[in-house]
Amino acid sequence: MFLLHTFTVLFVLDELVHSVASSSALSGLGSHGWLAPMDCVRASEMCNQNSQCSSRYRIMRQCLVGKDRTTMLANRECQAALEVLQDNPLYDCRCKRGMKKELQCLQNYWSIHMGLTEDEEFYETSPYEPLHPDETRRASIISAIDSASTKGNLCLDTGSPCNPCLDAAKACNLNDTCKRQRSMYITACHNKGSPIQQPQEPCNRKRCHKALRQFFERVQSEFSYPLLFCACRDTACAERRRQTIVPSCSFDEKTRPNCLELRRSCRSDPLCRSRLADFHMNCQTTRLTKTTCPNDNYYGCLISYVGLIGLDVTPNYVDASHSNFSISLWCSCRGSGNQEEECDAFLRDFRENTCLKNAIQAFGYGSEAGHIPMLESQPSLPSLPPVRTNLQPAIITKPSISSNDIKPIDNACIYSTCANLKDNGKKCTPSDAYECANENLLAPGMEGSIDTMGSHQAADESARQSSADPRHLSTPVALLTGIILSQAL
Amino acid sequence: KRTKRARKVTTPCSLLNLEVTVSQLELGYEGDETVLFRYCSGKCSASRRNYDITLASVKKRLQGKKIRHNPCCRPTSYEEDISFLDNNYKYHTIKELSASQCGCV
Repeated sequence: MFLLHTFTVLFVLDELVHSVASSSALSGLGSHGWLAPMDCVRASEMCNQNSQCSSRYRIMRQCLVGKDRTTMLANRECQAALEVLQDNPLYDCRCKRGMKKELQCLQNYWSIHMGLTEDEEFYETSPYEPLHPDETRRASIISAIDSASTKGNLCLDTGSPCNPCLDAAKACNLNDTCKRQRSMYITACHNKGSPIQQPQEPCNRKRCHKALRQFFERVQSEFSYPLLFCACRDTACAERRRQTIVPSCSFDEKTRPNCLELRRSCRSDPLCRSRLADFHMNCQTTRLTKTTCPNDNYYGCLISYVGLIGLDVTPNYVDASHSNFSISLWCSCRGSGNQEEECDAFLRDFRENTCLKNAIQAFGYGSEAGHIPMLESQPSLPSLPPVRTNLQPAIITKPSISSNDIKPIDNACIYSTCANLKDNGKKCTPSDAYECANENLLAPGMEGSIDTMGSHQAADESARQSSADPRHLSTPVALLTGIILSQAL
Repeated sequence: KRTKRARKVTTPCSLLNLEVTVSQLELGYEGDETVLFRYCSGKCSASRRNYDITLASVKKRLQGKKIRHNPCCRPTSYEEDISFLDNNYKYHTIKELSASQCGCV
């Protein structure tokens, strides 16, 4: 509290308006309510404006250079600096996904928190702001539309095999930003015979990873997530899904490193360390919720999973199995010595993560899932459950249809309608009037979103914004929801 | 007769879209992925230059030389790359598949 006053006084001398804003931000921090915590770039700027704080901060950073926690704490000066900074807004600061200066923000975060956490802590606190319920809810609408349109789309007509991953590729190819960014990472992950790389290396892994990160940052999740989380019913589809991130370059390596070694190298990089902590926080299987995900927030888990792609800990599907897919890292626990248990536990969070699996299945609305992600109070398409404790996804007992003899017209559409109706307490009457979103419906919606964005530049810009903040999702999508809904009811 | 035809096709040269599968490109790839093919189509009669009029009038004196005295609706620039996964799960990138701008040249 004393510190807070010091700050305010200092700022009054400096600039009155600024001080009002910052002190209100400060008071918001203490409560840990929905008032967003200050971002670490601002917090460190503020610290640097205060001579006492900035000197402690400098000492702290010097203390951490090349030293572990024990050595650092042995130093009295370091200890004193740490104590002072713990009462500073820097201690509570957080970063936003895809924010401007994200890396700088994360560096600022770890410059304090590295000294505050135990060195070999298994799970670390995520430096990212918790996802606001509104964000996840908006985002879930998109995925719901997508899954609905995938169901009604190519799976129905022509008798060609149902391949949602192919549909996702089509949707991406028809969107200028997605097409361009996809092309960029595919080229980057595939450049054979570039002069820079060694002849025995199949690709430039670093460049590939960077392009993949860029793809998921800049392309709207509406287009990028279906490529990665499409619900497959056959091997052809599942192999396509596995190939999404060009695993020959981004995933496989000649040797499999030890998983703890991989974690160590990840933790030496602020971005990787943050994303890993975020994954652990949002995808941690818990028995406290129905979905087994923290706060029943599937989308939060998917976001943090996608955040790992293009880093040292890039996860992927291990094979082209469609009925029982599994995710892993490219590492093994061989040679872990006395840390084998820890290594297994680390790897298990990827390989046997129920929350992650449920989230992926719920996104694709997979037939095998047995989960039909549930609906909100307003009539809606099946959507991912938002962060609300009173909402529970319906766990419907596995329908008596095997994945092979699925007739999409019968179940994909009417199924969801029934689920809808049931949730609203009405009688389930599958009607012929209900039609799935078909291609005709999907196409104008997508063209519309391109049109409203105008130029390529605007499309790029809004894609970037919406990847950072799903609230900016385009209105045509909302309109489309309306159209589908009015048909459904 | 002539005016009727002129009224019928009034679309000026412009960029149009077509959805095609990779196999339908006939470039030797086998794939079911759909890509957007953008092409140029339309009339260029409005953009005849003095060059074209003169060339048409001196045609006879050029004795069977290959000449074109009408502008043509063609791409003036192309889209950079389009990438796709073929049916054998190999990635390919095609350069300059689609037009990005059209003009009467």
